[in-house]
Amino acid sequence: MSLALDGIRIVEMGQLIAVPHATKLLSDMGAEVIHIESCVRPDNYRLQSFYGNTVEGNFWDRAANYYEQNRNKLSLTLDLTDEACLNVLKELISTSDVFAENYTPRVMRNFGLEYDDLRKIRPDIIMVSSTGYGYVGPWSTYGAIGYSTESASGLASITGYSDGPPRLPEIPYADYAAAEHTAFAVMAALIHRANTGDGQFIDVSQSETLTSTIPEAIMDFTVNGRTQERVGNVHPSISPHGCYPCAGDDAWIAIAAETDAQWQSFCRVMLRDSWIDDPRFKDSVARVENRAYLDTSISEATASRSAGELMTSLQRAGVAAGAVLNGKQMLFDSHLKSRGFYEVVEHDEISGMPSLPYSSRPWKLSLTPGSSRTAGPTMGKHNNLVLGQYLGLSETAIAEMKGTGVIGTGPTTPRPPRVVPLEEQLSRGLIISYEDDFKDKLRDRFD
Amino acid sequence: MTADSTNNRDNNTGGALAGVKVLDLTHHVAGPYCTKLMAAFGAEVLKVECPGVGDPARGLGPFAHDDAHPEKSLLFAYLNTSKRGITLDLKSSTGRSLLERLVAESAILVENFSPRVMPALGLDYDSLQKINPALVYVSISNFGQTGPYRNYKATDIVEYALGGLMYILGSHDREPLKHALRQSQFKAGTNAATAALMAYFYKLKTGQGQRVDVSVQEAVASALRDTVSLYSYNGAIRQRQNSYTGDMPRSPMPTSDGYIVPIHFGGAVDWDATGDFLGEPDLKSEKFSTPMSRLEHAKELHETLEKAFGRWEKYELFEQANKRRGSIYGIVQSPAEVVASGQNGHRNYFAEIDHPVIGAATYPGAPLIMNGTPWKASLPAPLLGQDNQRVYCQQLGLSSAELTILRASEVV
Repeated sequence: MSLALDGIRIVEMGQLIAVPHATKLLSDMGAEVIHIESCVRPDNYRLQSFYGNTVEGNFWDRAANYYEQNRNKLSLTLDLTDEACLNVLKELISTSDVFAENYTPRVMRNFGLEYDDLRKIRPDIIMVSSTGYGYVGPWSTYGAIGYSTESASGLASITGYSDGPPRLPEIPYADYAAAEHTAFAVMAALIHRANTGDGQFIDVSQSETLTSTIPEAIMDFTVNGRTQERVGNVHPSISPHGCYPCAGDDAWIAIAAETDAQWQSFCRVMLRDSWIDDPRFKDSVARVENRAYLDTSISEATASRSAGELMTSLQRAGVAAGAVLNGKQMLFDSHLKSRGFYEVVEHDEISGMPSLPYSSRPWKLSLTPGSSRTAGPTMGKHNNLVLGQYLGLSETAIAEMKGTGVIGTGPTTPRPPRVVPLEEQLSRGLIISYEDDFKDKLRDRFD
Repeated sequence: MTADSTNNRDNNTGGALAGVKVLDLTHHVAGPYCTKLMAAFGAEVLKVECPGVGDPARGLGPFAHDDAHPEKSLLFAYLNTSKRGITLDLKSSTGRSLLERLVAESAILVENFSPRVMPALGLDYDSLQKINPALVYVSISNFGQTGPYRNYKATDIVEYALGGLMYILGSHDREPLKHALRQSQFKAGTNAATAALMAYFYKLKTGQGQRVDVSVQEAVASALRDTVSLYSYNGAIRQRQNSYTGDMPRSPMPTSDGYIVPIHFGGAVDWDATGDFLGEPDLKSEKFSTPMSRLEHAKELHETLEKAFGRWEKYELFEQANKRRGSIYGIVQSPAEVVASGQNGHRNYFAEIDHPVIGAATYPGAPLIMNGTPWKASLPAPLLGQDNQRVYCQQLGLSSAELTILRASEVV
């Protein structure tokens, strides 16, 4: 099967999500991504969320967040404070199309890995720096993760219940928005280079990418002087529009009925035909005005219904509705199953992990579909391949690097982090439940 | 680099996608954001709207000065910068044959109708690839072109529910939330633009076009980090966070004038050092000294933190914290503060665009800076049908008389 990005090589000095997710998407479509890691300072995502919730042995090769962002890649460990390693990296970059990184600008400056340095060794290199607030500017020296940049972007200030503080989801959302824009920019730069031969430097501010997705709030201020408030799930002109309780523990359904016809269908499916003739709900203006009363009434009517069954009934009647799916329900959703959205990936034997399903990608290309070919690499898995075959270092030279510890297959000082037992996660409210028979259920679903 | 960075955001030289012709059959948000990104970075985007009414996004607020006029939707104005616009009735046979001529000249076609519409119009991929085998044909839809939900209706809140993001946003003892506005649509638009360019890149090498199917649900579901793998790794199900976790919250905490997000990165929080930094000796107390004791006194810990943060002003705390190693605090900025931000100002983030009906206004600018091929944002969104003459007469060679007939018969 052909791959759209076959022949493209990306050297990635990424951590967490903002760059690794972007290069993962490119690797799915065939780019060869060499993920540079440090044994001295391992990627934080190698140090949390472990398979089996244990930190015995090589725990850094069993971390969910690492595997989520790094499939299909090659892993090369390098200690860049060592001059030989730094030269190896530069030589590798000279054979590459793209160099992508998401450290603070100080790091690239200190290593002499800025764009002006790299284009001397590879004139048409495409370099991406993804930072919390941008490569230049008074905040450019500040570190950031998705929670910080989502807050600075403006999105957090308008998200939340109308009577509560700003809210962030339980994942670093802004990192993904930045990564998705980064993948786009790399593609645009590759096309430009294919047409002109020119590389370039791409400066991604993770905060700015997210601000570019809330124009309604930004321009309501710049044009009308209005500051939008937090409104929960309320829509300014659609009612009903909200999230309503269903039968079961923490079960919910999202419903949006926009037109009068949809409203009437909704009432019938809810077995509340009397609402159709109720003057308080007679048209969309009345339903918006009496929103609070309507939402309370709907909640009473949905509380005894199954979220999944109610969704099916409402959708059959032409009303937009969706069960609020949790992490497990996503894996078992029939629609995502039929689209093959979760792809089973085999892990390296030394991880001790079975094959597991991972989310794939939000597109299907008919001719060059791309795929999850291999799981994220164990640490330093491709040291010999990259140093020996790609760069032509001798076995002796590689052995010497291993000996001095500038390359390796695990952290220089492995410090197993404290693992929070599932029972304690439950009492801290981090998880709602856990199941002991999940392996059997997964096998039944994905075999 | 990069002293030049700030000057290269918006200077209207050729973009990265110069010469790429995009036929834009999109409406609402996801499709227009996809083609906006391409237009901003140099593609020639021709937006096709329904005669008379146009893109329904023209009816979405906020409107300039709250005037609900079809040329004054600020959302529409933002989503359609740097595009040209024509009107065409795709249901008429004349309209369809004109569209086919445009398809023959285009590299990429983007549409985001529900999956039934393009086949019903005779504009499905199989028909159009006969006209132009190199065409990259991009469809964005709520749930993709296949599968049991393919004809399901959705708005942003439904995509949040079925995309797995809603369950993990909000308070553990209240209903789940969606983000404000239309995030799922923007995510799908961004991903669709990337996928379109991947297919186009392949076409550059091989001459072969192909079909691209983008699902809004999957755009949300592909960005959940370990929410799903917590189950496949441990059988556990993540939920919306409890207010009192017995740890440093990584959610907005009130200061005297707003909110900050107290992120302590890279290992365990040093509570003594944090107490010194914040000027709150109670944080160094015995009862907060171990994970178990903090859990036991979780509510008290939370209140002590509220007391500590509440003494600070948010920008002062944000800047002081970020000068310390590992404390990468975030700051909650309102849209007004984002617009006034010195960081965004230094980077020339915002764009001034003069629109013939709205007038000059400040728009969010390029989402990122491509230094070699800056984006262009100076062209305002097209008025309904503004480029009909240019496209139908100059480009396709129709006479003025023919265009008049098309207008009279409401084909354009």
